Amino acid sequence: MVLTQKLHEAFKGTVERITGARTVSAFKEKGVLSVSEFVVAGDNLVSKCPTWSWEAGESNKRKTYLPPNKQYLITRNVPCFKRAISLEEEYEAAGGELLLENDDDDGWLATHGKPKENKCDEEDIPSMDTLEIDNTRAIHSIPTYFGSEKDEDIPDMAGFDDSENLVEEDPATLQQSAYFVAHEPDDDNILRTRTYDISITYDKYYQTPRVWLTGYDESRMPLQPELVLQDVSQDHAHKTVTIEDHPHLPGKHASVHPCKHGAVMKKIIDVLMSRGVEPEVDKYLFLFLKFVASVIPTIEYDYTMDFDLGSTS
Amino acid sequence: MADSSKVLVFRQMDSKVEEGFWARYSSFKLNELGIDDSPLPITGFFKPCSRDGVPETLTLLTESLSSEPSEKYFSFEGGNRNRCPVPGTLYNSNTMESFRALDRGTLLKNEMGKIWNDIMSGKVEEEPNFLLRFLVISYADLKRWRFHYLFAFPAMDLKPPVELLSLHSASKYLNSEETESLSEALNKWRNSSLTSDVSFFLVCITSNSVVTIKLLKDWKDTQSENCKILYGFYDPSNLQTNPGWPLRNFLSFISLRWKVEKICFLCYRESHGLANMELSLVGEALISISQDWNFPQYVPKAVGWETNMRKLAFKHMSLVESMDPTRLAISAA
Repeated sequence: MVLTQKLHEAFKGTVERITGARTVSAFKEKGVLSVSEFVVAGDNLVSKCPTWSWEAGESNKRKTYLPPNKQYLITRNVPCFKRAISLEEEYEAAGGELLLENDDDDGWLATHGKPKENKCDEEDIPSMDTLEIDNTRAIHSIPTYFGSEKDEDIPDMAGFDDSENLVEEDPATLQQSAYFVAHEPDDDNILRTRTYDISITYDKYYQTPRVWLTGYDESRMPLQPELVLQDVSQDHAHKTVTIEDHPHLPGKHASVHPCKHGAVMKKIIDVLMSRGVEPEVDKYLFLFLKFVASVIPTIEYDYTMDFDLGSTS
Repeated sequence: MADSSKVLVFRQMDSKVEEGFWARYSSFKLNELGIDDSPLPITGFFKPCSRDGVPETLTLLTESLSSEPSEKYFSFEGGNRNRCPVPGTLYNSNTMESFRALDRGTLLKNEMGKIWNDIMSGKVEEEPNFLLRFLVISYADLKRWRFHYLFAFPAMDLKPPVELLSLHSASKYLNSEETESLSEALNKWRNSSLTSDVSFFLVCITSNSVVTIKLLKDWKDTQSENCKILYGFYDPSNLQTNPGWPLRNFLSFISLRWKVEKICFLCYRESHGLANMELSLVGEALISISQDWNFPQYVPKAVGWETNMRKLAFKHMSLVESMDPTRLAISAA
């Protein structure tokens, strides 16, 4: 698995180096984007959902085929109040949204769901044994941020004299877990939650956008990428979501692998066209992020308000 | 404090450091700095709270450490609404012992002194984000790729504390025309590349409910106009009961520089990246400045080390997985 992944990465890297970036539009035919279409769609996302912005990234990692100040898109500090793992049971119970399945096995979330039928492909849902991260074990025993594993030699700040660590009482500072002011409400209104930075890069090989997840725990320390998988729909966690090097950011990040993106987008576009909607390429990322929402159902990023998907003919 | 229920209580600033920051610092330390441990200028970034349920943080990114640190570090091309730059200082120690031995009281006081000088000299009117200066003390253990650090957001310790007279959601405090006009003006302010990262501003409301947003340096002009002023700031706090930390120095500034005692403030917040007048708050505060503050050379006491449960919130981050050459070699094999 790991070896094949590496071989594939090497192959993909070579192909990317020796082939030019797509310049001809094949958006309706193949569901893919040319470089300039990616920039147009990104500009539209940033203007409609201003929590997203373009980043230039580090200069030594810049792709020459993209404008220097529009290398990738990012939205930071997106809350994730529950784990997708626990959410899935609720979906099932409530009838859920419709996962359109086909032989290729790439599901996407329909815009107008109907209750999911119970026959749903049992064998497609990975069993907990193969899952490696099961709910309880992961939460209780895997350290939530890097490096605290078997880490006796983290200098212990408790080694400071306790009185030295205590901060002088300041009546005007809201204490995160304890209020000084007697008549304030309970501390329950300070909610601690996981957050995500979500970035979108352009994958030159697959000619589609690619989504990356950088997780932070409740105390805003980086989440191990393996723990990020708790926030990925379990239908996808071990198939389409992988942990790889980010093209612009340091370190390992979870990513929705783009190998099926073109096909899924093509299907979405076909459905729209069959309804008489002519999809416009600058709306690509809205459609794309709507599809990604089925992979990361509990991460509450912005991808849509009321907008037209395309012009109705 | 006669009635404790009226003390204005600020929500502290949360900090967040992206891996990229320590990664860049590491290579800078190894390749350029060596054992030089003089303070380094860094830039933090924040924005108004834009999602109900989570406060925004002061964040250090890769770009927080300029690749060519110089006096001009604080020049960023404006216009990224999601990155309002704030000047900071990094004090890195070369050993755990010297990290522990740092005189935190003096460091905080020095940084407070810079804010005080910027208020008194009028610099804040030109560069309002200087009110939010911060500092980070750290020990970067490059043998183990581990980073230990602590943030401080210096704020003046006002005695007596600021008294809160009222606090409402902006849409309740203002009439519907004012609310609509304010929301429109703020969206325009946030969308203009000239002002989108200017996190302190003046809101002028005329008697016929027309709202305009102005720069702090236009304060004098607003005094001759017949309009009500709200002192606005980008609020990272998401709480309906407590404004965020930036308000603290802003109130001191307004009171010291413009001698306003009863201050009507606006905590600006967004949802989905657009002005939200239900989440934004308008409050009235009463501030009285101690006589001591009029002495030349006086610098008020500072508070502001990041805490959790009343204890200093030291943080530890390890980049072993992504930085250690040995591990990288193994995982690549």
